[in-house]
Amino acid sequence: MSFDALHSKWFLPGFSVVMGLVMLAAASYGGRTGDGIAMLVVMTVVGAAILLGGRSETIRGLRGDGRDERMALIDLRATAYSGLVLIIVIIGMFIYEIAQGHSGAPYMLLGAVSGISYIAFVVLLRLRG
Amino acid sequence: MDMTSKLYIMRNRIRERRAQRGASQAQLAEALGVSRQTINAIETERYTPSLPLAFALAAYFNTTVEDLFLPDEKGDGRVL
Repeated sequence: MSFDALHSKWFLPGFSVVMGLVMLAAASYGGRTGDGIAMLVVMTVVGAAILLGGRSETIRGLRGDGRDERMALIDLRATAYSGLVLIIVIIGMFIYEIAQGHSGAPYMLLGAVSGISYIAFVVLLRLRG
Repeated sequence: MDMTSKLYIMRNRIRERRAQRGASQAQLAEALGVSRQTINAIETERYTPSLPLAFALAAYFNTTVEDLFLPDEKGDGRVL
């Protein structure tokens, strides 16, 4: 996929709909078609809101077509902060699970993947300068 | 002046120079290929542009980066 395609205003809305269809397929496979349809509706509404909310700088930044260096930096920082929140929740849930006498799965695996990927990206980005 | 670990914000004269030229934020933004909100953030010192954008701003106003962007008087700037 070309770089320009990723920054098209259609990419994120289209991706939302595709994810909705994947969720529908997975839910149907698991015998929960009704939930899958609801997920598809939600993802389609999200995609439509992103596509049609063009006057908002936030929407255009998320969508990609209105992204300049400041919005790219905001996106990077928001990704980092949300990743930090996710890590905290994963660690919290892992501790809760083992305190309940469970194995800690899947939180142990998620935490390990997060930690290893973070170290790998630090090394990679450091090598790239 | 520790600029290594913090997001360093510099004072600038962008709004003053823009007013002298009679240009709007939208016009300046379009000329530089950024959003109007980015120009506003630079003028209100909530965002420090990258070097390429700083040089583009200087070129737009036919001046130098040093003329547009001012270090803090205390020498340690404002940080986010």
